[in-house]
Amino acid sequence: MKLKLLLITFLITCFASAQVTFEAKVSKKKLGINERLRIDFVMNKDGDNFNPPSFENFTIVGGPSQTISTQWLNGVKKSSKTYTYFLAPKKRGTFTIGQSTIEIEGEIYKTLPVNIAVTAAIDKPKDPNDPNYIASQNIHLVAEVSKTNPYLNEAITVVYKLYVSPNTGIRTWRELDNPRYADFWSQNINIKELKQVNTTYKGEDYRYVILRKTVLYPQKTGKLNIEPLTLDIEVQVPTNRRDIFGSRLMKMVSRTVAAGNRTINVKPLPEVGKPLDFSGAVGSFDFEVSTNKSQLKATEALQATIKVSGKGNLKLFEIPKLTLPSSLEVYEPEHSEKISTSLAGMQGQISDTYTIVPSYQGNYPIPSVSFSYFDLNTKKYKTITSDELVVNVNEGPLNNEADTENSTSTLNKEPIVQSGGQFMSFKTKTNFISKEPSYFFKSKLFWTLLLVPFLVIPLAIFLRHKKEERDSDVVGNKIRAANKLAKKYLSEAKKTLGSKEAFYNAMERALHNYLKSKLHIETSDFSKDKIEELLTQKSVSADAITEFIDLLKSCELARYTPFSNVEMQQDYSKAARVISVIDKQIKR
Amino acid sequence: MLRKTTYILTILLSISLSAQNDVLFDAGNKSYNEGNYQDAIESYETILASGVHSSELYFNLGNSYYKLNRIAPSIYYYEKALQLSPKNKDIKNNLAFAQNMTIDDIEIVPDIGISRIGKNIINIFNFDTWAMFSIGLIMVFAILFLGYYFSSATTKKRFAFVVSSTTIILAIVCLFFAYQKYQFAQKDKPAIVFAKETDVKTDPNIRSEVAFTLHEGTKVQVLEAYDENWTKIKLVDGKTGWIPSEDIKLLNNI
Repeated sequence: MKLKLLLITFLITCFASAQVTFEAKVSKKKLGINERLRIDFVMNKDGDNFNPPSFENFTIVGGPSQTISTQWLNGVKKSSKTYTYFLAPKKRGTFTIGQSTIEIEGEIYKTLPVNIAVTAAIDKPKDPNDPNYIASQNIHLVAEVSKTNPYLNEAITVVYKLYVSPNTGIRTWRELDNPRYADFWSQNINIKELKQVNTTYKGEDYRYVILRKTVLYPQKTGKLNIEPLTLDIEVQVPTNRRDIFGSRLMKMVSRTVAAGNRTINVKPLPEVGKPLDFSGAVGSFDFEVSTNKSQLKATEALQATIKVSGKGNLKLFEIPKLTLPSSLEVYEPEHSEKISTSLAGMQGQISDTYTIVPSYQGNYPIPSVSFSYFDLNTKKYKTITSDELVVNVNEGPLNNEADTENSTSTLNKEPIVQSGGQFMSFKTKTNFISKEPSYFFKSKLFWTLLLVPFLVIPLAIFLRHKKEERDSDVVGNKIRAANKLAKKYLSEAKKTLGSKEAFYNAMERALHNYLKSKLHIETSDFSKDKIEELLTQKSVSADAITEFIDLLKSCELARYTPFSNVEMQQDYSKAARVISVIDKQIKR
Repeated sequence: MLRKTTYILTILLSISLSAQNDVLFDAGNKSYNEGNYQDAIESYETILASGVHSSELYFNLGNSYYKLNRIAPSIYYYEKALQLSPKNKDIKNNLAFAQNMTIDDIEIVPDIGISRIGKNIINIFNFDTWAMFSIGLIMVFAILFLGYYFSSATTKKRFAFVVSSTTIILAIVCLFFAYQKYQFAQKDKPAIVFAKETDVKTDPNIRSEVAFTLHEGTKVQVLEAYDENWTKIKLVDGKTGWIPSEDIKLLNNI
C-alpha cells in the first residue's frame, strides 16, 4: 500500500514535469534603492500575448528583451522563452510585482506575485580588481572654498586640489570644462609649478597637488553656484600581474573627475548705517587726498591725488570724485592701480591724479572728500573724510579783470598791474545807519511833493486873477492906497484914537514923519510956511496943502481945547485922505 | 514831562549805542588785523544785532569769513555790502576773490535787444533817485507852466510851453522808471546757497527727481516758497527747481 502510494506520487510528479510552466524570477528580493532589479518571466513553451504586470514603484530601465533557447538533451527537446526587464525602484518600501499572463496553447497562465523589499542605498560592491574602480577610489578632485557665506564683495578663494593615492600615478591631465564664475568677479592666481604635498584624506595617506587657485568676489547676493571643474586624467593603476622582475604591471586608465558643485550663500551688506556715498568698497582701506603744492603762481600746474589703499575689492569700486571750484581749470584724472592679488584677496592702492591749473589768483579750497567702505572685521560701515585743503595762488591776474578785458592784447598793452589785483583789506571808518530801510518812493512826503506843484498851478492862477481884479478897480485902489499910507504912518494915532492928548501928539508926529520921508528933509524946522513952500515946489495942489496945514493947526489947537471923539475920528480920516492925495501928487 | 524824559533818554541811549558800535567796530578791526578772524566776526555781528549796518561793516565781515575760507557767508556779506554801495570797486574786487572759491559754474544768459537797454537805463539809479528826479521835474514843470501862463511875450510863452511840456513828459518817464525799478526790487529776492552741497529737486518733496546740484556760495533768485521747507529758485542761466529752505539764506529779509 505504501509502495503504491509512492509510485503514484512519482507518476504525478513526472507528469507534472512535463506540464507547461510559467514563472517570474527576480534577481533578488531585497535590494538597495540605488540598485537595479532584474526580473525574468520564464516559460517552457512558446507562448503568445505576453502581458507584463504594471511595474508601479519601479522604472523600467531596460527591457523587455526576449530570449528563446532550445536544447536537446538525451533526445529530449527542452525549450524556454524568457522576457527580461531591468527595474530601478522609485522609492523605499516593500512592493509587490503583480501577476503577468501569457497564452500558451490556448490556455492562459499566470505568474505568482513577487514581494520586493527596497532598502536604503547600499554601497555597491565593486570588483576590486577593476582598474576603473581602483582609479575612482584613488583619485579625488576637491574644491575647497574658504567661506561659504561671505558678504557681497567679500573675497573668497576656491582652491582645487587633486588627491592621489600613493599607489596610483597620474600621467597627464587636461581640463575638460573650465568653470565660468558667472556671478563673481574672479581672478586666477597663477601656479608656477605643481607641488606635491603629502597629506591624509579620509584617514588614508594621500598626496595632493594644487591645480588652481581662484579669488572670487561675489557680485550678487543669494545662493550662487560655483561650476565644477572637470578634468580628464590618465591614471596609472597597478594590476595583479607582475612583470618578470616581480614589480606590478601598471595599467593606463582614462578617467574623468569633477569637483562637485559648490553653492555659496552670499549675504547682502547690511542696510543699517549704510552711508549715502557708499560705492561698494568692502575691505579695510586708507583714504587720502593730497596736493603736491600748496602755493603756486597762476597758470602753473598743480596735482591733486585721491588715493585709496588697503585690502579689499580695489578694482570693483570707483574712487570718489573731486569737486573743485569752477574757476579752476581741471583736466580728466589719471587713474593708476598698483594691486597684487593673493589668496587673501586684492591688496594695494588705486589713485586718481587730477591736474589743476589755476588761471587767477586767490585762495582755492579743495573741498573735503569722503570715502565709505564696509569693514569686514567690525562688520560696520566706516567713512573716512579727508581734510579740506586750500591752495593759495599768489600771483596772477584777477578774475574780474579778465571778465572786463577779455582780450589778452589789451592786457599786454598795460603791463602795470593795478592795485586792484590784490585782496582788499578791511575798512577802518564807517557810518552806521539803521537796518530798517526807509524809502522815499511811495512815502507820504513823496506823494505830497508829487501833488503840491499841481495844486500850486491853479492856486497861483487864482491869486493872479484876484490881483488883476484889484488892479482894474480904480476907486477901490485909491482907498486901498490911502489905507496903506494911513496904516504906515497913522497906525500909532489910530491906536490912541479916543484919548485926546496922545492922539494928537501921535498924529502930529505922524504928519511930520510923513513929510520927512516924502520930502527927504533932515531938519526939525517944520514951520507951516516952510512946509507950504516945500509942498508947492513939489507941485502939490493948494487945496491939499491947506488941508494939511489945517490938520497941523488942529493938532496944535487940540492941546488946549477940548475935542470930541467924533472930531478926532474926522481928523483921522482927513489926515489919511490928505496924505494919500499929497502922496499921489508928489509922485507925479 | 514824562514824554520829554523818555525822548532825552532815547537820544542818550542811541548816542551811547552808536559810540558802543564804533568801539566794537574798532575792536573787530583790531582782531582782524591780528588774524583773530573769529573774534572779529563776533564783534561785527554784535554791531549787526544792535540794528544798524553799513557797507563797510558787511565788507569787513565778508573779508573775515573769506580769511576763514568760509565761502558762503563771505559771499553773502559781500553781496550785502554791494546792496548798500553798489558801485564800490573794493567790494566787487573781493567778491570776485570769494567767487573764485565757488564750485558751481553757471553761464549767464544775457538779455538781448530793447529789454536789455531798458533794464540798463532803469538800473542806473535806484527807485528813490528816480522818484526824486520825477519830483524835481514836476516842480520845474509847475514853475515853467506858470511862466507860460502869465508871460505875455510870444517868444517867452512859446519857449516856456515847449520846455514845460518836455519836463512833464520827462517827469512821467522818471516816475514810470521809479515804478519799474520798484517792481524789480520787489521781485529781486537773491539768496546765497549755504549748504556745502545740495540737491535741487523738480518738486517740493524729497521723493522727486534731482534736477541739478548746487554747491556753497552760489547766488540764486528766490521765486516762491512752499510749505516753509521748500523754496523755488532760479539760476542765472534760467534753470529752476526746489531747494530745501534751510540750505539757502536770503539777502533781503522780507
